[in-house]
Formats: sequence, C-alpha cells, structure tokens
Amino acid sequence: MNGLRKYSGLILAIVVVLALVAWPTINGKDITREVVFTMILSVALASSLNILLGYTGYVSFGHVVFFGLGGYVGFYLMAVQNWSLWPAMLAGGVASGTLAFFLGKAILRLRGGYFALATIGVNEAVRAFINNYKPFGGPVGLSLNFSVYQNYGGGAREALWLSFYMLAALTILVIIVSYAVRTSKFGLGLLAIREDEDAAEIMGVRAPNAKTWAYVLSAIFPGILGVLFFFKNGNIEPAPAFRLQLSIEMIVMVMLGGQGTVLGPILGGAGYQRFRGFLLTNPLFKNIQLAVAGFLLLIIVLFIPAGIIGWVRNRFPKLRRVLQ
Amino acid sequence: MKRIFTFFVLLLIVMGALLTACGSSETPAEPAAPAADTAPAASDSTAAEEPAAAEPAAPEETTLMIGFTTSQTGKQNVSSTRQVNGLMLWMDQVNEAGGLELSDGTRVKFDYVTYDDESNTDRVQELYTRLATEDGADFLISPYSSGLTAAAAVIAEQYGKVMITTGAASDSAYQQGYTQVYQAYTPASRYLTGAVDLLTTLDPSVKRVAFVYENSKFSTSVVEAAKVYAEEQGYEVVLFEGYDPETTDFGPFINKIEAAAPDAILGGGHFQDGSTFARQIDEKNIDVNFFTLLVAPPEPDFADLGQAAVGVVGPSQWEPLAAFTPDSATEAGLDWYGISGDEFVTTYEGAYAGEEPSYHSAGGYAAGMILAKAIENADSVEPEAVRDALEDMDILTFYGHVKFDTSAENHGLQIGHSMVYIQWQEDASGNLAKQVLWPLEGATADSLYPKP
Repeated sequence: MNGLRKYSGLILAIVVVLALVAWPTINGKDITREVVFTMILSVALASSLNILLGYTGYVSFGHVVFFGLGGYVGFYLMAVQNWSLWPAMLAGGVASGTLAFFLGKAILRLRGGYFALATIGVNEAVRAFINNYKPFGGPVGLSLNFSVYQNYGGGAREALWLSFYMLAALTILVIIVSYAVRTSKFGLGLLAIREDEDAAEIMGVRAPNAKTWAYVLSAIFPGILGVLFFFKNGNIEPAPAFRLQLSIEMIVMVMLGGQGTVLGPILGGAGYQRFRGFLLTNPLFKNIQLAVAGFLLLIIVLFIPAGIIGWVRNRFPKLRRVLQ
Repeated sequence: MKRIFTFFVLLLIVMGALLTACGSSETPAEPAAPAADTAPAASDSTAAEEPAAAEPAAPEETTLMIGFTTSQTGKQNVSSTRQVNGLMLWMDQVNEAGGLELSDGTRVKFDYVTYDDESNTDRVQELYTRLATEDGADFLISPYSSGLTAAAAVIAEQYGKVMITTGAASDSAYQQGYTQVYQAYTPASRYLTGAVDLLTTLDPSVKRVAFVYENSKFSTSVVEAAKVYAEEQGYEVVLFEGYDPETTDFGPFINKIEAAAPDAILGGGHFQDGSTFARQIDEKNIDVNFFTLLVAPPEPDFADLGQAAVGVVGPSQWEPLAAFTPDSATEAGLDWYGISGDEFVTTYEGAYAGEEPSYHSAGGYAAGMILAKAIENADSVEPEAVRDALEDMDILTFYGHVKFDTSAENHGLQIGHSMVYIQWQEDASGNLAKQVLWPLEGATADSLYPKP
C-alpha cells in the first residue's frame, strides 16, 4: 500500500497511456488506432524532450534532428540492408544517442538562447548532410517495399497494429525513464541546474556531465520512435524527417501540459494532437483549424504559463504527490 | 534573465502559431467559393432531370464517395488547390450531367470528403485511414506531391482502395509492390527525356550538355534519369551539379557552367529557383544554345522575366495549346474520352473567376476522368471491376494519352502520357507567348534555336 502511494505519480501516468491504448484495442477500429498512434507518438516525443526542457531547463529547438536521424539510420538498415524492424529501431536509438553525446559535449556549454539557436543549426546541418548523402538516397529519400510488411504478422494491417503496440510499449518505457529521472538524485541535480546552474555546480552537481546525459536520454527515444514512424510511413525524405515545425510542436506540447512534470507532457502531447485532429476533421473548423489552434495556444501561454499540470499543482497542493 | 528568456521563447512560439494561422485563414476561401456556387446548381439539375428520366422507369441512383486530402496550408498550397479545383470541376460537370450511366440504367454520381493535410506527412496516413474506413470513401485520389502520396499509398493498398494519383511524378511510389495505385502524371523518369529528343532533332551536332538542378526529391529523380538517357544518346555530360532549394545566387554555378562550356543546359527545380536561375543566366550573357528548366517555364508568371524568358524551354504535363482531339485519337487508334481542351479551359476559367488552369488543374480533372472512364468501362462500381478496367485502360483525352504499366515491378506507373515541351517566344508585336515545340505533331511554332 505504501509502495502504491509512493509510486502513485508513475502509476497514474501509465494508467493514462494504457487507457489511450485500450481505446482502439476494445473497439477494434483502424481509425481509432491511427488517431491514438498520433497522440501517443506525441506523448513519447514530448516526454523525451521534457527530460531536457522540463528538468534541465534547456530549450532544444532542433530536437527533431534525433527523430529524423534515428529514422534515417533505421530506415536505411531496413530498406537497403534488409534488417528487421527490431535491430533497426535499436540502431536508430543508438545513432541518435551517440550524436547527442558528442553534441552535448560541444554545445551544452552554451546557455539560454544561444543553446536554442545552436540546436536549430544542428538540425539544419544534419538535414543538409543527409540531403547530399547518396547512400541515404540524397534528396530522393528511401522507400520500403510493401511486401516487407508481410514479415510482421501476415499483412500491412497486422504490421500497422504491431507498430501501434510497439509504440505503446515504447511510450510507457519513456514515461518510466522520465519518472525515474525525476525522482532520482541525478534528476535532482538536473532540477538544480534548471534553477541556477552556477549554484548547482557549487553544491557539487557536475553540470556538464549531468546535462550531457540528460541530452542523451532525451535523444535516444526520438531516434527509436523515428524508425517506427517511418517504417509505418513507408518512405523517408529529408524535409519531413527534419521538419523544424515538429520541434516547435514538441515544445508547445511540453509547455501546454506542464514542463518539468511527468504527467504534463502526456496530457500536453495527447491533448494537443487530439485537439488538432478534432479541428482538422470537424466540418465546422476544418478550414480554420490552425487559426483556432493558434488562438487557444495564445490563451494558454498567456494565462497558464506553468501548463495544465503546473496550474493544478499550484492550485491544489494536496494533489502534488499524485501529479508528478 | 531566466524570465526574459522564457518570455522570449513563448513569444516565438505564439508568433509562429499565429503566422501559420494567418496563412490558413486566407487560403480556404478560394476553393470554397466555386464549391458553394456549384452545389445548388448540381441539385437543381438533378431536380430538373429526374422527371424526364423518371417516365420510363425510375433509374436507380448511386453516389460514390471520393476521398482525398488537400494541402490547404503549407508550401504545397497553390499547386494542391489548383489540382483540387480541377477535380471539383470534373465532379460538378459529371453530377450536373446527371451522373455516369451504366448499362442497367443506374446513374452514378459523385460526392467527396477532404481534409487538410497541411502539406506534411505526419497526418496523411491518419487522414487516409479515416477516409477509407470512417467516411466510406469508395475511391481515393492522391494528395499533391510525391512524398505525401507515398504515405497515402500504404493506406490505399492496405484497405484495397483504388487510388488515382495526380501531382505525384516520382517513380518510386510505383515500384513498392502496390496493386491499387494508378498514376496520372508522366513519371519523373520521363520528364526531361523528351527535351533530349528535341535537342537531337534541333541540332544533331550538339554533344556537350550540363545538368544544373535543385537538390530535391523530384528534380533529382528527373535529372538522374535524364542523364542516363542523354548518355545513351551519345551526349557528353560536362557538368552535373545540384544546388540547394533556397539558392538565390547562382553565380558559382554559372561560373562552373562557363568553365564547362556546354551547348545545352538542362535542370532547374521549382518556380522560385528556376526563374532566378534563368534571369541570372541572361544577366551574365551565357552563350548557350538550348536551355530547359523544370516547372517554372510552364507557369504563366514566368513571362515576368521579360527578355530572360525568351527561348527558355520547359516540360509541362499539359498545355492549353496542346491539341489532343477526337481526330488525333482516331489517327493514333485510341478511344477518345471526355471534353475538349478548349472546353476545359473555358469552363475552368468560368468556375474559378478567370484563373488560367495550370497543368496541376488539368491533372486533377484528368484523375477524375480516368476514374469515370474506368467505371464506365467496367460497367460497375465494384472496386475489383474498376481496377480491372484501369489495367486495360488505353485512352486519349484532352490531357493526353493514358495507359498504365501492369507489370509487377512498376505496377500503376503511367506509360501512355508524355510531356509537352513549351518555349517562350516573342510574337510580331514583341509580346511573350508560350509555344509548343514537342511532340512535333502538336507543335504550334518552330523552335527558337539557338537560344538568343
């Protein structure tokens, strides 16, 4: 019972994701699966970014670079080297983590706006590199043959369901990692860096190391997710793989839900995508969906800058134990 | 410091969101207007026609749902809107005429569902799944652009829905083992090969060609295929150089061109870079006999370049001047189908406030026509029968010849249609006008060769 209370923040977060996953599983509808796929992909991406943005306080504007690079490495292994999805996903994660490690050593010395600018530069640089890198198809990109999907349970339909459950498992893993970081000594170090980096260093936090590992942790999962997403998508090209807008959306999701909390990015990611999806397909709003979304974001940013979870935590201190 | 930075980040996000929002609120008005005009007209005509047709026996009427996404926002907006305008025009015309008639007297009318794909692949699969499963789309039309179409094709294939692609020239989508996807456009691999043929006809002594092209999916696939073809024809490729899509200064490339001294330049990419490239080639007075660019020259706005546009050749999927007629169909031994090119231009301009149709518009209209012809040939609305009819299709329309590859390796690839090559020329009074040079049967003027 005590353990249950101790982990209530994590349990609540996982229950939310499981509830989302259960929705298409119960009604068996393909469209629900697609809707939830987009939602939990955002949950996983936002939660990964949160490790850096929320806990450490570093805004990475170019985080999509890990999604794209991981996706490219994995896709290349599947499409050209005929690897199976599983090792390809692992390779995508490793590639992104490695890039983050070396980048972290170099650019995490920058603070604030300079770091944010550097991450945009990195994204553009990697995109330009891939655009000229022939083995990855250059500007033409790569495509998967449709018959590949038959290796995953019989047909494309099974492969899409499989991708969905794989994504669900990954999302839960991201959340567990996010929770573990937040409640660990390492996480406390990150929070200290967020509040005041110089003070944290004086208190004994090895800031450069801690920041680099936070960056690596927040990069591995987007890399794996990229492989899964482009596997399902069937083709990969430089422009959609390194789309800066996705980076910005990830930041919006984290801020919407509440940065620095475990549950925040989950609500932010799922809520943002559900809302966008609703506007896109609603007959009344589909022509002005971006205008409506933009206006609501403005309201949220102006009036509840701490995000939904942050606002609830401030308002109802008793819930703080549960709403981690 | 921290607060200021947070504020700065928030401000950036809000501004970004607002900017994209502004873009979206303006664009949808355009396609909405004609749709609103034609909707009541369509119902009027059914009301007017039904009593007449009802006399012998009330004909059965069935409505097929066509699903597709439109890039109402994002960078593909202009081309995608034109494509959808073309498709809508076709649908309105068919419905106003009382629908297609099958041999058992059934009248087939069309309706559509569409969503905004925002010009990016993130949601294309979700939207096409929605179209195929929730909205009950019977047939699908592709989004605009090869990248979005590749993502949509996976879904079409998965649900066994026939998808006619338009605005998607890249070959690779038809080499992935799909069986439900049929291409209306001439594929990228044959986009510039006609220009090589044209050059051979104009001047067999020319041997040195240069390819300078935009580093994007479409242009790269086009020039790579054209390069292979040119080499097969005995040309020497003296320069093969890609430039970044955002290039505004072509100086370094022009220097390389000067150094390589080619007789002909082929390449380009899209409108912006292509027109800048053409202007700078003219400014630097590069002496080249033959100059072909992708996409930009067929656009009416290319004439704004003035003298720099003269002599520039460009491939187009369709041109108002290209005269495919029932007579040319008979000559070629093909079935003629649909309206004439003149009628398309007039009705299109009438429906969209005088907007001149581009080849994207014609492609959208053609996608609808291909589907209609397949349904008529199949004499059924069953997907299997329609698919069989598409396999056997071999027709000539105002848009050109339509025939699909049925082999397993390139299934659905367009093999009938070919590009039209235009050139900007000055008429007697000094005004710039597009003339068709190739194919020779459809030529409206002699080539201006060498380029002045």
